[in-house]
Amino acid sequence: MAHLLALFFPPSVLRPAELATDAGILLGGAAIVAWLTWRRRWAWLWREWITTVDHKKIGIMYLLFAIVGLMRGGVDALMIRTQLAMPNNTFLGAEHYNEVFTTHGTTMVFFMAMPFIFALFNIAIPLMIGARDVAFPKLNAISFWLFAFAFLLFNMSFLVGGSPNAGWTAYAPLTELHFNPGVGENYYLIALQITGIGTIATGVNFLVTILRLRAKGMTLMKMPLFAWSALITSSLVIFAFPALTIALALTMLDRLFGSTFFTIAHGGMPMMYVNLFWIWGHPEVYILVVPAFGIFSEVVATFSRKRLFGYTAMVGSLIAISLLSYGVWVHHFFTMGAGAAVNAFFGISTMLIAIPTGVKVFNWILTMWGGRIRMTVAMLWQLAFIPTFVIGGATGVMLAVVPGDYQFHNSYFLIAHFHNVLIGGVVFGLFSGLYYWWPKMFGWMLNERQGKWAFWFFLIGFWVTFFPQYLLGLKGMTRRIYVYPPGLGWSTLNLVSTIGAFAMGAGFIILVYSILYSWRHRQPDLTGDPWDGRTLEWSLPSPAPEYNFAVLPRADARDAWWEMKRSGSCGKVSAVAVGPIEMPRRSAVPFLLGLSFFVAGFGAVFSFWTIALFGMAGVIALLLSGWFDEHDHHEIPAEEIRRSQAALGRFES
Amino acid sequence: MNARAPEASRPNLPLEFQDPRESLGILGFWFFLASDVVLFSCLFAVYAVYHGRVAAGPTPFQVFDLGPVLTETLLLLTSSFTCGLAIFMMRRGSTRGLSVWLLVTLLLGMAFVGMEVHEFAGDILRFGTWHKSAFLSSFFTLVGTHGGHVSFGVLWAAALVVRLWRQGLTPGTARRVYTFSLYWHFLDIIWIFIFTAVYLSGKIT
Amino acid sequence: METSTPKAHEIEQGEVVEISALAPRFEEHAFPWRQIAGYAASLLLTLGALLLVERRLLPAAWLAPVILALAAVQAGLQLGLFMHLRESLGATWHVLTLALAIVVALGIVILSIWIMAFKSGVS
Repeated sequence: MAHLLALFFPPSVLRPAELATDAGILLGGAAIVAWLTWRRRWAWLWREWITTVDHKKIGIMYLLFAIVGLMRGGVDALMIRTQLAMPNNTFLGAEHYNEVFTTHGTTMVFFMAMPFIFALFNIAIPLMIGARDVAFPKLNAISFWLFAFAFLLFNMSFLVGGSPNAGWTAYAPLTELHFNPGVGENYYLIALQITGIGTIATGVNFLVTILRLRAKGMTLMKMPLFAWSALITSSLVIFAFPALTIALALTMLDRLFGSTFFTIAHGGMPMMYVNLFWIWGHPEVYILVVPAFGIFSEVVATFSRKRLFGYTAMVGSLIAISLLSYGVWVHHFFTMGAGAAVNAFFGISTMLIAIPTGVKVFNWILTMWGGRIRMTVAMLWQLAFIPTFVIGGATGVMLAVVPGDYQFHNSYFLIAHFHNVLIGGVVFGLFSGLYYWWPKMFGWMLNERQGKWAFWFFLIGFWVTFFPQYLLGLKGMTRRIYVYPPGLGWSTLNLVSTIGAFAMGAGFIILVYSILYSWRHRQPDLTGDPWDGRTLEWSLPSPAPEYNFAVLPRADARDAWWEMKRSGSCGKVSAVAVGPIEMPRRSAVPFLLGLSFFVAGFGAVFSFWTIALFGMAGVIALLLSGWFDEHDHHEIPAEEIRRSQAALGRFES
Repeated sequence: MNARAPEASRPNLPLEFQDPRESLGILGFWFFLASDVVLFSCLFAVYAVYHGRVAAGPTPFQVFDLGPVLTETLLLLTSSFTCGLAIFMMRRGSTRGLSVWLLVTLLLGMAFVGMEVHEFAGDILRFGTWHKSAFLSSFFTLVGTHGGHVSFGVLWAAALVVRLWRQGLTPGTARRVYTFSLYWHFLDIIWIFIFTAVYLSGKIT
Repeated sequence: METSTPKAHEIEQGEVVEISALAPRFEEHAFPWRQIAGYAASLLLTLGALLLVERRLLPAAWLAPVILALAAVQAGLQLGLFMHLRESLGATWHVLTLALAIVVALGIVILSIWIMAFKSGVS
């Protein structure tokens, strides 16, 4: 018993910050349970959300987790910046600092950006291409619950057993058992493998959805650009994530089962981990940013009231970026010393990516040219993105110059560069998409005035945070140091950077406040088309009914809904055309599968093999149940569809 | 499994393609296999880099015994053939023929897994565990991952046989049998490369 | 040999084949000739590769590329004869995806060997 207590609660989880978080989570959890019980919402929660296979609801659940992830990763970021605000600061100890930057990076990539992207895919893609759901709705729910339970497992680490502390890249040999005893890295390795399975399934799901379920008439070159970006992202996912799975699995085998992949003593090579990790890692960068490119392409056309400029070039450049992205991974470790020929090859391939990316930037600018631009919050994020991303891209080309990289490598110059592209590209894009599709998700608008406040705080905060970091890098400050002496010329720049980070934090708080405010003071979207949109999702009421389209639409032109509006159609259907619709049945299997993986993962983290086997038995049993299941669909009668469409005022009179 | 009206079926196509919703599963499964190709390629890359890194342990030449490996190969090649016959029977509408050949495939798969477990156990007794060297770690992981896939396939085939007995040959069952066959042939391809790039190459000095 | 393509009036959403190279084709036969031929060829190729190595029928430097080429042929046979590669309801997107997967897989193996060889010794 004492042994178990020591295992679960080592000193690193008994620091005041962790205990306060414990208390907060317990109180918050108790409050949620009390509320659910008091309002008798348990059955509702189970029926409407936990067992749902509806892509729109799954999207909303992804979004909820992404915002929680953003908060957790953001708090980590503020702790990092607080520690670095002044020389010789003692806010965090060395070990604590390692844990915080590890969870910051991991959370932001896997538990904020990825679910945020999948949220927007789920919400928008089927509606955009005129489908009633994704190709495999149950698998979609399974992906979500694997992600959600992995999120839980990863975030449990700093409360029970101890946090991972080897950086978000988890390089060997630092992650080897000998150098890193304790269970923290196990949490990292196992949680990411679980969510990785779900991610590959999501990739397969959206590939089939987009290739097979488009509306009649919507040929590939008539698809909205966001659908193209989802297609490209999904193809990157299925080819990139296996490499991550292998990198993590081999480290796990080393730690838990005594293999010697990355230990030098028995002939292993830590560098092989680095190689495998970045075979995934570089395509991953494009998995994150390509969806943002898609969002911006929709937003810029809508709010400029113009067709997207250079559609074909946009598609071509997406494809070029995705193909090139497989052949650049060594630029993350030029300094490893693989040789001049290797570095030259990967340096040149990296620089090549700037060409298609540049094409895209010019096309976005030329879409705005001569358009009637509306300065909504979604559009503001787009406008801020272009210069921010261009600067981030340009510093990326600087890093691709191999001799230069030997100077910049692992300095704050690199930190500033990748935050420049990941925040300026991905996060700005996700916020733009959030404001753009919010009314479609919930049926009410986000407050624009508060949204602009959040925008300005976040944008100015962003530049105040990261521009000084370029200078710090050039002055020689390296990443992952938790303390520095005065007199190096770093102190002022670090203080400025910290002030900027808190401004970004304020922007986030305003955003969350604005969501709550807009919820209380609801400004409903009654038309379903609040932005005068161009693509099919805006032809539906907000939020869309369970079956999305009462009658499947035809899309004979790009910007199908825009053309329909121009030809006088108003998104209404004739009552005679409505027939019964077959929809997938809700299922408890996805949730239980996630739970089983969680149990198995928890057992593996602590090497409690009975518990792990118990969890895996659950996984097998649930898979078997799926193999025998023939009745996973139900039919909505035509009468019911007529009734709901009439209530929405969607019938032609 | 998109939501669409049930009347849209294709009577002149093979059963597994007749229901458009079921046929989506076939394309999805191909995409999963493409992903699995990359997964195995990473393990092959690890093996390719590590096969000479034997530390104080045995070399590939010492470890590999081509006799049992050839038997394993023949078992798997034959099972791939019988799996092809199972699909052939399914296309002819013979539930009985399908079940029989599926059962034969399953038994050959089990024999393969049994042989491999025996081979691994022998290796460990003679040369020690994978802790010995990076070569042994990468060898056991690559070949073991394939073996794990085959074991999963055996379980899957068993479930399919039961499903065939209980529900007969429906479009849903046909689609599942068809995707199983893709999986099984795919594993055969992976084994061909393991046989060549691991075992045979280990015997070239 | 009978081959059939879905007829135009049957084509539904998502089944329009935009790239003619990806058009599906179904094949049905009265006797499993293809399976038997595939099995025989795979046995031949396997035993051939084994013989080449066991009997040292080629110089050592040639052996590895030759047996890998034989393996590639055998993989192609499995794909073509057993896996019904051209069958699909709608465009055969999996052929394109599989081709890309093979390119990525070869890239990972070959480039990893190149990178991890540390030829220069400079760092």
